[in-house]
Amino acid sequence: MLKNICVTQLNFLKSASSLQQQVRTTFILKRKYEPLLHKTNERPRPMRPKHFIYELVEDTQVKKRPNMEVVLKTFVEGVGDKGDVVSMKPHFVYNKLLLPGLAAYKTPENIAKYAKTDAEKSAVKHSSAYAQRTVNMLETIVLAVVMNKDEPWVLEPWHIKASLRKAGFHCKEECITLPKERIEGPDLKKESKDFQCIITINKLEQATLKCRLHHWSTDPSERLPYVLEHWKMQSEPLLDVGSPEKRP
Amino acid sequence: MQSILSSMRALALRQPTGDAVRRLHLTAISEAARKGTREKARKKKVKVEVKKVGFIPHNQRDKKINVKRADKHVDDSWKQVSKDDVYVGRYYRWPVYSVAEAIQCHRETHHPSMYNVPNAPLNVEIELNMQGEKATRFVDNFQRMAMIPHKFEHGEERKIIVFTKGNDEILEAREAGASLVGGVELIKDITGGELLLSDYQFIIAHPNILPELVALRGLMKRKFPNPKSETLGANLAEMIVKFSSGISYSAAKDEYQQNFGLITASVGPLDMDAQKLEENLKHLLQDVNEMRPKREGRFITRVLLKSPPSSEQLKIDPFVYVPEMWDKSSAKVKREEAKKQEEPVETQEAVAAN
Repeated sequence: MLKNICVTQLNFLKSASSLQQQVRTTFILKRKYEPLLHKTNERPRPMRPKHFIYELVEDTQVKKRPNMEVVLKTFVEGVGDKGDVVSMKPHFVYNKLLLPGLAAYKTPENIAKYAKTDAEKSAVKHSSAYAQRTVNMLETIVLAVVMNKDEPWVLEPWHIKASLRKAGFHCKEECITLPKERIEGPDLKKESKDFQCIITINKLEQATLKCRLHHWSTDPSERLPYVLEHWKMQSEPLLDVGSPEKRP
Repeated sequence: MQSILSSMRALALRQPTGDAVRRLHLTAISEAARKGTREKARKKKVKVEVKKVGFIPHNQRDKKINVKRADKHVDDSWKQVSKDDVYVGRYYRWPVYSVAEAIQCHRETHHPSMYNVPNAPLNVEIELNMQGEKATRFVDNFQRMAMIPHKFEHGEERKIIVFTKGNDEILEAREAGASLVGGVELIKDITGGELLLSDYQFIIAHPNILPELVALRGLMKRKFPNPKSETLGANLAEMIVKFSSGISYSAAKDEYQQNFGLITASVGPLDMDAQKLEENLKHLLQDVNEMRPKREGRFITRVLLKSPPSSEQLKIDPFVYVPEMWDKSSAKVKREEAKKQEEPVETQEAVAAN
């Protein structure tokens, strides 16, 4: 009986390993003037007021806290998948993961409890922790596709790839799905008209990317006048160009 | 006894009279002296005028002012490498392209269907850590000429004048593409003022004409042929090819950050064969690496490939072509080899003397 109680108590104590933190009000000080040594077998010399002047060595309150490790209970965008042990800044962990109940302290029990089951492993919903963020960002931008004003062209996936690279997104050619209809040019009727294409991330997540055609000439005198903040303007879709369909 | 004591006390306590004190200081000489010192003190005291400075716009303020500037050596190694096939560049480390890939990327943006400048120059920006052997010492700005295996139109006017005596060498130099080749008669023309040396960017000489060429030292000044800058040597054709087709580049230290140096040079037009461009780049990097100071750590820190009018800059790995770190042992071996080469000459001379 007594043994059982002891075991449960011990288990209670076990889970609290990450809570063992020193109270953060410690100031480490150093004496400015060292008191003199006293003679053997004699009383120490009385301390003078100057011996009570201290210098601050370290204020533990402003010290950077080490990262904290937690186990995720569910998929968290930009952090990780269920069952992942992640190490992050303590304030982020506390406010964004522990308080909303998305994660638990890292203990052997919690790791076992929140590990992914086989059924969950087979049903993949997210290819990586950051794919959803990429999807969100791709869906907010209006991609400027700058094509030539003088030479004939037909839009191809690598045009989108190069335009995305100019905009700071890196992607492979096979991830881009263009509309089925051919988009040809140069055609000034198509200037600053929109079309949509689909970007597939890790062959799983799909994002609809809004693209806007622009015409550019190598000769500066031939160029179209610059429009300030053209991506904020209202625009019309390209005629006869449908949007590619997302995978169900 | 009492009376003597009291009289002595009176003597000791008696104050000198005011008259006596005044007389002590008010002599004519001392007054003059004091007047001088007062004048001196007055002169010493310079009235500090506080100038009122109105508001100066930020762009007109002194640029030497101690502003905290961002370190030009960009280090993004703390960022993670993306495992996804589509990612947002700003959250991750810069992608490192191979030279062929980078050229392909530039060709895409310069394709007739986009920018339509397929023959744009492929520029390379080499960032250097200019710190010398000591932390407070820096490598000087340098200007060099890198020899490249594949010629291209660099668009600069480079006229080369060659001084040599032998008929064979004159022919050889002409064939290699020198603008003007000549011997003693050329030196006479120059001293006579019929020919201007300033029309020629490069002056090359064969050692056989050196004694006569000394007459032109004052005219040439720093351009005087010397083996260190590889303008004096027996292999004329190679030198001429180097100076007519090589890449001329200069490394300049940053105005505010002494340990940051930048080289901007072109390695060829974008429509040149990718392999040839890569070889040119390799030779340029190897030439730059010869200026490496004898210290630990990297000299070339980052290499970017650029091509106008696109503003894209693609990072490539230079350490495929040049060693990343300074090899202490190899430097030692080189020095020993040089010593060995010198020694036999000396011994030969000694033998000849005997």
